[in-house]
Amino acid sequence: MSRLGAAFTTALVIVVGILTVLGLAVGEGLGNLSLIVQTRGLPVITDLFLQVVVVTIATTVIIGIINLLSVHISRITQRKGGWVYSVILVVSALAVMVITLLERAGVLTGRPSLSAILLETVQISIESALAGLVLFALVYGAFRLMRRRVTWWAMLFTLILIILLLGALPLPAVNGLASIRNWLLAVPVSAGARGILLGIALATVVAGVRILIGQDRSYRE
Amino acid sequence: MSTEQIGLWAGFVFTLMIFSYVLGDNFLYRIAVYVFVGLTAGFITVVTVESLLLPWVNGTLLAANTDIGTRAVGLVPFILGALLLLKASPRLGRLGNIAIAFIIGVGTAVALVGAITGTLLPLIATTSSGVRVDVVNGFLIFLGVSSTLIYFWYLGRRTPIGEVRRGLAARVVGVVGQGFIVITLGAIYAGAILTSLTIFSERISFILARITGG
Repeated sequence: MSRLGAAFTTALVIVVGILTVLGLAVGEGLGNLSLIVQTRGLPVITDLFLQVVVVTIATTVIIGIINLLSVHISRITQRKGGWVYSVILVVSALAVMVITLLERAGVLTGRPSLSAILLETVQISIESALAGLVLFALVYGAFRLMRRRVTWWAMLFTLILIILLLGALPLPAVNGLASIRNWLLAVPVSAGARGILLGIALATVVAGVRILIGQDRSYRE
Repeated sequence: MSTEQIGLWAGFVFTLMIFSYVLGDNFLYRIAVYVFVGLTAGFITVVTVESLLLPWVNGTLLAANTDIGTRAVGLVPFILGALLLLKASPRLGRLGNIAIAFIIGVGTAVALVGAITGTLLPLIATTSSGVRVDVVNGFLIFLGVSSTLIYFWYLGRRTPIGEVRRGLAARVVGVVGQGFIVITLGAIYAGAILTSLTIFSERISFILARITGG
């Protein structure tokens, strides 16, 4: 029975995957293949598959948030360590939901809306402050790189880092560095980035084909 | 004081609370982080329900003058979501594999088509056409791209003593590729520092503007 179930899931992945690939990739001008794809309505089926997956993932996101809230509510009721922080989290989450609900019901009618103020002034402020805080970690990380072990690659990394940072300064004294910076970004950095992106894309294609032909079945575990 | 002003002052206080982390982990920082997680959870719920779940339910399950087939399709994502929940159960966990299989089938197809049409074909085209525009720089880009790919090429031969070694040519070109990767990662790191510096200075000017009333 378990073998039958495993075979069914593999068959489902292959059928759904190949139908979706055909619906997405086969357009006009491919002769009989285009004709078959269009007449069988594969683009419509692919569109439906995509919608179903998106709504399924949305459902799992909601389940995840319900789980997050239930974990914190249980921390509050059991008075576990840090339960005060859980109160703050639950109140903030519920406040956003209740305020939005009241706005949609027409009870709160202020302009700009309270939910927009919460998003733009509180949420984005905290997000920006956290992103600004990353600066300290990045600078400390670069400092630690040279302190731990000096290698040729670490020296090249630090040299590039310094050239690019100094070259970004709008000062006449570092005009020469600015042109080196522009060349670095246009040639070696562009080449390395393309190589990395191509490597990721090739790995995605290999992994995708392995899944679609049933060679990789790790999702059944 | 208007609601907007209260919001700005709240943003000011929360920014200071986050920056207090520079002095070490403390309860002010934690309060701000928990508020952030709570607000994010709330906004994600609102956006997910309003932009995805309600339009789907209204278009399928609750649609007027619709057939039983459309209503049945409307139930599918919720059944798949319920099956995913069963993954936590040791006895019924296998049923969750059906939902996983469906998501992986569609996800793999999207990733495959996206990687080919969105990354592979455009990047190969621009890299090969670059040589025609500027021979020296175009060749350097071609060398960088190919040597970077060879650096990630892990095929090798087993020597008589049992260790696996790559060929000499692959090793030499791989070192060149490693150099290009280090330069790229250095540039990404510098970009991250510049981005966070810009955001940090914006926050500092926001704090000063609040204090001086600007």
